[in-house]
Amino acid sequence: MNQSRAQRWVLGFFVLLALVMLSAPTVVVMGASVSAGRMIAFPPEGFSLQWYGKILAASDLRQAFGRTLVVALICTAVALPVGTLAGIALAKFRLRFAGAVQVYLLLPFTVPLIGSGIGMMLAFGKMGILGQLWPVGIACAVINLPFMIWAVTASAAALDPDLELAAANCGAGRVQTFLSVTLPAVTPGIITGSLLMFILAMNEFLVSLLLVDARIVTLPVQIYNSIRSIITPDLAAISVVFIVMAALAIALLDWLVGLDIFLKSK
Amino acid sequence: MGRIRQQGPQPMIRDAANAAQAAKAGPAVSVRGVDMDFGAGPLAVADAGFDLARGRFLTILGPSGSGKTTLLRMIAGFQTPTRGEIFINGEPVSKVAPHQRAIGMVFQKLALFPHLTAAQNVAFPLKMRRFDARGIPARVEQFLDLVRLGGLGGRRIHELSGGQQQRVAIARALVFQPDLLLLDEPLAALDRKLREEMQLEFRRIQRELGVTTINVTHDQREALVMSDEVIVMEAGRIQQNARPVDLYRDPANAFVANFIGVTSFLPGRVAPGGLECGGILCPGTPRQALAAGTPARGAIRAEQIRMAADGAALAGLDFRLQGQVRDAIFEGERQLYEVVLPALGGIAVQVYHHDASDFALTAPGQTVTVGWNRRDMILFPAAVP
Ligand SMILES: Nc1ncnc2c1ncn2[C@@H]1O[C@H](COP(=O)(O)OP(=O)(O)OP(=O)(O)O)[C@@H](O)[C@H]1O
Ligand SMILES: [Mg+2]
Repeated sequence: MNQSRAQRWVLGFFVLLALVMLSAPTVVVMGASVSAGRMIAFPPEGFSLQWYGKILAASDLRQAFGRTLVVALICTAVALPVGTLAGIALAKFRLRFAGAVQVYLLLPFTVPLIGSGIGMMLAFGKMGILGQLWPVGIACAVINLPFMIWAVTASAAALDPDLELAAANCGAGRVQTFLSVTLPAVTPGIITGSLLMFILAMNEFLVSLLLVDARIVTLPVQIYNSIRSIITPDLAAISVVFIVMAALAIALLDWLVGLDIFLKSK
Repeated sequence: MGRIRQQGPQPMIRDAANAAQAAKAGPAVSVRGVDMDFGAGPLAVADAGFDLARGRFLTILGPSGSGKTTLLRMIAGFQTPTRGEIFINGEPVSKVAPHQRAIGMVFQKLALFPHLTAAQNVAFPLKMRRFDARGIPARVEQFLDLVRLGGLGGRRIHELSGGQQQRVAIARALVFQPDLLLLDEPLAALDRKLREEMQLEFRRIQRELGVTTINVTHDQREALVMSDEVIVMEAGRIQQNARPVDLYRDPANAFVANFIGVTSFLPGRVAPGGLECGGILCPGTPRQALAAGTPARGAIRAEQIRMAADGAALAGLDFRLQGQVRDAIFEGERQLYEVVLPALGGIAVQVYHHDASDFALTAPGQTVTVGWNRRDMILFPAAVP
């Protein structure tokens, strides 16, 4: 590299700025969560893990966390087969409705979540299934599915079509070819997409807010409800739990497929 | 040559191949009036037809886009001819799915399964074709040995060199003893030395197993070196189907004459005993009977034109004339000259010269004498414009 010194300084400055800006909220919330004081504050007043103890003891938080896990698992379980097949189909075949599918893939960026949330609230209400957890999982799957499809499509598009012909030439029928060649090739995309779906469903707030009632609040909704009363450092502690889960997911991803693949699969 | 290690016959393979051969008579592959129409543009393959006898090695040779891959893929079953029929062992196969055809194929980009080891790649066809599971490891071992990869079976594909990957692909194509082996330019990506080594390797294995083989290439040298028979294709049409020697000595038309070797063409009209070109009779032989006065082109190979500084040295030839050196390319064991012939209206011919002591001739503008014999110039009817 033949960069001049000034160029390196400028580049370094902006990288540093970006890092600080991206990590500042995380740092603040982590600091606040170990505060010894009674109010949420940064920098923290002293050090204590009391708030972690408190959220562990709070049964309503524990139950909300459990429900959130169930929602995330249902969402992932629904999105995994649907997103995998849709992603492969999209990458391999010239679909008749390709245009419509493209629009659908852009939906998460165009339609505000409140819109899709209200739509689903009305639909589920008509069907009389509100007040249960599984419709929330399905709703999360529906609104986040494009991310899963993207992850799989990126893997499937990189698959050499000759590989499938080679499998056929080796005597593999369609199903065997799919299982022994296509599926292994898109596995990184499936893992990436599934973890993404899981995390997104864990964090999903708005749609959950519209679909749950007081008996089945999920964790993000529970947090929101608490904020309306008073803001205590236990909320910061819960946020840290979320951050840790996301970090675990990324570590898992790195271990399973390597982060470089994830970063390349748009 | 030292590279071709003598290897004892493999009893199991030989016997099975012989039994299969005895059971079936007639050509291993027949292609009858096959067209492939992709919709846009001219036919990718037009009216292709040939027979290939069992155990023979056929090469399909042609420039890029001439339809070689398309023809091969139709035989493999990846594409269905829009017209005509392909027979394998006498059976029409247009309704037979690719995985039901007993064909081994080595793809241009190999198409090895990246998530499997070399041995698992070779075992794959055996598993898919439901071979007795207990026999598979030994069989895989045997074929890895055949391609000289013994001991490397546990490696992942990306842990092997290009040449080793080639060999895995060959083993995978052959391990279930297919009736037919298809090769789609698998050597094109290799460097020259490795390519020539693999050509001999293919030939050795093909002879050892006696498997009928169709190879695709645009490398004329590879076609001549490896094959029992060569089909030359151009623009979707088969131009000639012949043994390598005949292809070289007796090209069916001007395209083939031009495609194989380095050939010069002289324009003119057919005259008794040769070609009348620029008012001079150049001795030559028409490939088929041509009426005198017909517009024609005389084709002559660079190595059949003789050249000397002193015309007297070429006294024994049927024909001599003077020219000027325009360019000379040094190729090591020989030199390729471009010689302008003012007497023939300034036409240039290409001449191979093997005498390294004559380097003085290379100076551009140098006057030389060239000449050839009547039988070495072949006359073809001029292409109708
Ligand atoms: N799937 C396809 N759809 C449309 N046209 C095609 C298709 N496959 C091949 N063609 C066309 O058919 C013609 C023959 O192609 P083919 O691949 O058989 O050539 P080739 O002789 O193998 O060339 P190369 O030496 O470059 O591999 C070309 O003009 C090509 O553009
Ligand atoms: Mg080709």
